[in-house]
Order: sequence, then structure tokens, then C-alpha cells
Amino acid sequence: MAAPAPAVTIGKAASVPMRWRRRAIFGQSIGELVLVYGLLALVLIETLYPLIWVLFGSFKSKEEVITNVWGPPTQLLWSNYAEAWTISGMGARIFNSASITAGALLLLVLAATPAAYALSRIRFRGRNVVIAFIVAAMLVPPQVMAIPLFMTARDLGLVNSRVGIAIIHAASTLPLSIFIMRSFFLTLPMELEDAARMDGASRLQTLWHVMLPLIRPGIALVTIFAFIEIWNDFFLAFLLLREPSVQTIPLGLVAFFQQYGSMWNLYFAALTLTTLPVIAVFLLMQRHFIAGLTAGAVKS
Amino acid sequence: MAASARRKEAMGGDAFAAALMVAPAALLLGLFFVWPFLRGLWISATRWDGFSAPVFVGFANYARLFGDGLFQGALINNLIFVALILVFKNGFGMGLALLLDRALFLRGPIRAAVFIPVTLSFAATGLLWSWIYNPVFGLLNAALDLAGLAGLKRSWLGDAEIALYAIVAVDIWKWLGFHAVIYLAGLQTIPAELYEAARIDGANAFHRFRHITLPLMMPVVLINVILGLSGAFVRNFDIVQVLTQGGPNHATEVVMTLMVKTAFQDGNMGYASAMGFTLFLIVGLCCVALLALMRRSRVEL
Repeated sequence: MAAPAPAVTIGKAASVPMRWRRRAIFGQSIGELVLVYGLLALVLIETLYPLIWVLFGSFKSKEEVITNVWGPPTQLLWSNYAEAWTISGMGARIFNSASITAGALLLLVLAATPAAYALSRIRFRGRNVVIAFIVAAMLVPPQVMAIPLFMTARDLGLVNSRVGIAIIHAASTLPLSIFIMRSFFLTLPMELEDAARMDGASRLQTLWHVMLPLIRPGIALVTIFAFIEIWNDFFLAFLLLREPSVQTIPLGLVAFFQQYGSMWNLYFAALTLTTLPVIAVFLLMQRHFIAGLTAGAVKS
Repeated sequence: MAASARRKEAMGGDAFAAALMVAPAALLLGLFFVWPFLRGLWISATRWDGFSAPVFVGFANYARLFGDGLFQGALINNLIFVALILVFKNGFGMGLALLLDRALFLRGPIRAAVFIPVTLSFAATGLLWSWIYNPVFGLLNAALDLAGLAGLKRSWLGDAEIALYAIVAVDIWKWLGFHAVIYLAGLQTIPAELYEAARIDGANAFHRFRHITLPLMMPVVLINVILGLSGAFVRNFDIVQVLTQGGPNHATEVVMTLMVKTAFQDGNMGYASAMGFTLFLIVGLCCVALLALMRRSRVEL
């Protein structure tokens, strides 16, 4: 996953006064501009060419992948996509990934929001202990507990279960999510809430009617991070989903590759089919995504 | 008086509300964090195949780690992995951020483009690169042919001497944009006035970087190091599993891949758990040390 930064303070780090940005225009010589953009062009090629190559390869015939290594395809073999879809059973994999991710995200938001609210707004005994535990859990990668986690899942009948892995995904993304949401709650003014409480609203009513609408950016940020983590997960799926019928896209890609290793063109088609939607979603939401990421990592 | 009594009353009701709100999260974390953690500690003190009755062996599993060449090889690979990744992700990430900071035109689109690999799964990334590294028709060897460097062509993942470095390169490729974006945000919080003052005083670009940028960026560097650290130690299972499964002949074995093999191929749950906790201890100590360093550097600034 994109391991999101531990949110120290949610500030407006991403918005920097124009006055400071101006300096980039002044005092830059032509030589410097050429150097900067030359190096950036190299980085772009290094980053994007492998991906463009996959796209090119997905339209080539099996022979053309080898004979025409660099260039765009000479004809567009759309049939690669249909064939890859059928052979790899991608439809079922996409369904598994989508249902597991949706279930996990729903559970995550339902569990993280009230907990983050209580940990930021209500004083109760043991609160600091709980907060310290959450921070510690954030730093413990769940992978080191792979074996006892597997055993616990086995005892609860959660191996080879889409519901099971969704619950475990929600649990493993929970500490960071609570932490991020809590820092969002802490930025909201107390007055709003006090006013609601004065009017006789209960804690739950206050949370639901007053705080929830204000906390939406926090929920969005947590959802984006957890989506990338869960949708792309390989490790937990490798551990817990042994039956092909319940396996997710990443496992499906690896299995397809191991079985049909020589059919590169079909393989590229499968890769394009499953990664392009994620890239598209990212590009549409990238401003929010990057603003959220940097607001967490950099104090303004 | 009346006010404090009312507050106390409200507190009682609040404690119940708080318990209710924290309960779902507590249940999830209890079941899938606390319980596996404690249970893992117990398993690591036993000899157990996962099915029959476990046999308590005390610290024997941990003691065995010290004499296990395979484990030590994996740990050394892991440390090489961590060192290279921290140096290159931060070096390149900072470099790319400095470039982006100088580039006003097209900064947003370029920043988005370099971030794309971060959003890809390790499975997709690994399979993409296993093709780039393919000795027969991979992109890398084709590029070397094109550049007239055919002598450098090799089986990148099949050669025990370089396979580990080939995997490290993939991890750097995937995460470069992530670190660059964080560094860029850090750079943009440094006031331009500082640079202007330094320029008037005659400081050249290197001096400005050394004496303004770097000291002010230290907290951001530490955040990047911490983020990279736990990832480099533990989250490398996916990429290694997809690219080489630890081969050839354990040349790219890391602790996580060895742990999974020990548990699910050799059926030795106790010994595998001991590996997991040893790794956890190492990562934990590094994180604590870095956090202490971070706190101190904040004070100095």
C-alpha cells in the first residue's frame, strides 16, 4: 500500500502563499530550466515507459511482442482482451476484490469514526492508554504476526472466506485510520459541539448530526488510503485465500502469469484491464489524495 | 458547585457513550491485533506443526536463530535491502522534489505521473518488472543492446550476485514518487525570504541547500526514513515473492519469505513465529531510536 504518513497535525501544508511560489519564475536562467526539465523528462520516461509498454504489448500478437520490442503495435488486437478475460477468470477475481474491499471499507469507517470521536472529544479513564496503544499498533506491521493471525483466522473459520479477509483488512487498517480521523476531529472547534449539547443532543446525536458532516474530508482520506492498501493487498490474500474461487486480482495475476508465462500479450491485456481503472481513479482524485498525504506528513 | 456536579453527572453518561463508541474498534483490534500478538509470543516458545499438541521449548527457537545460517543470510539480505532503500529512496526522492520545486510549468501533472507506480499493486509491479528483467526479450536487455552495451546483458533475476539489487531497484521505482511528494510539500513550507537573504549574502546553491534546506527538512527526512524503514524490513514479502520467491538458492531470501516458508512448507510454526518476533524487535528498536532522534531534532530547530 501507499503507507500513509502518520498524521502529526492536519494543517494546510499543501497550500503555500503565492508569494513563495513566485520565486521559481524569477532568477532562473535558461540553462537551469533546460537542466531541470531535462532531468524531469528522464524521470518521466523511467516512470511511464514501462507502463506504456504494457499498454502497447496488450495489443500485439504473441510474435510481435518479441519482434517489435519498442514500438507501438502495428495492428490493434482487441481480441487479446477478450481472450485474457476468459482464460484468467478475471471477472470472478474482480468481483472478489470489489466485494472484499467494499465490505472492509464499510466496516473500517463504521468502527473508526465513533472510536476516533470518543478518543478526541470524550474524557474517560484509560483514554491515554488507548491512544498510546493505537500509535504502537500503527508501527507494528501486521505481517510480523502472520502465523498467529493465520491460526486465529483458522480457528474462527475465516480462512478461504471473503467475509473473513474483509474483517481482518478492516482490523489491520484500523489503527492508522483512527489516528488520522482523530486528528481531523481535533481540528474542529469545540463551540459547535457545545451548542448541540446545550440543546440537549446526546453524544451519538452530536456525532451523527453535527460532527459527521464536518468530518467528511477525514473519512474520504481514510477511505482512499485503505482502498489502495486493501485493493492491492497480496500478503493477506496469499495467506488466507487458498481457494481459487475466492481469490482476488493480485493473486489472479500471479497465477495467470505462472500458468501462461509465455503468452505475454494476453498477460499484458490482463494487467492493463486490472490496473488502468485504479490509475484512472487516482488521476481523477489526485489533488485530494496528495493534499491529504502531505498534510499528514508535513507540519505547516 | 452546581456546575461541577452537573459536569460529574455528564461524565458518568459520557463514560458509557465512550465505551459504546470505542467497542467495535476495540473488538476488532483485540481479536486481530492483541490476541494474535500474545498468541504468537506463546507459539514462538513451542515446537508446533500447527495441528498436533504444541510442545513447550522455552527460548530454544530464539537460541536456534543464532546458529541458523539460512536465517542469518536472510537477515543480512534484509539489512542490505533496508540500507539501500533508505539511501536511494531519500536521495532520489529529495532530488526529484528539488527538481519539481524549480519547475513551475507542468509541476502538477509531472507530480501526478511520478506518483502512479505508488498506486499499483506489488503483484502488478512485480510481474511488470519480471518481464523487464526477462533475459530473452526483456526491456532492459533490449535497451542495453540498443545502447551498444550488449556485454552488460544478463539474467537479472537469475544471477545470485545481482538479483537482490534488481529487486531493490523495483522497490525504489515503485516508491520514488511517494517520497518525492512528501519532500516537495516540505520544501514548499520553507519561506523564500531565507533563500533571498542567503543569496544576498553570497551563498551559492550548494551552500543554500546545505545550510537552509537540509536543516529545515530534517523532520521531513526523519518521517520519510521511518515510513521507509518499517516497509523495507517487513513489507518486502510481496515483491520478493512475486519476483524470485527468495531464489536463486536463497540469494534474495528475506526474513518474511523465510518465515512463510518455515511455517507453511516446513510446518514449523514455533520457529517461524520466533523469526517474526525477532524481526519485530529489530524494527521496533530502530523506530524508537528514530523517534527519539526526531524529538531531539525538533528541539534543536
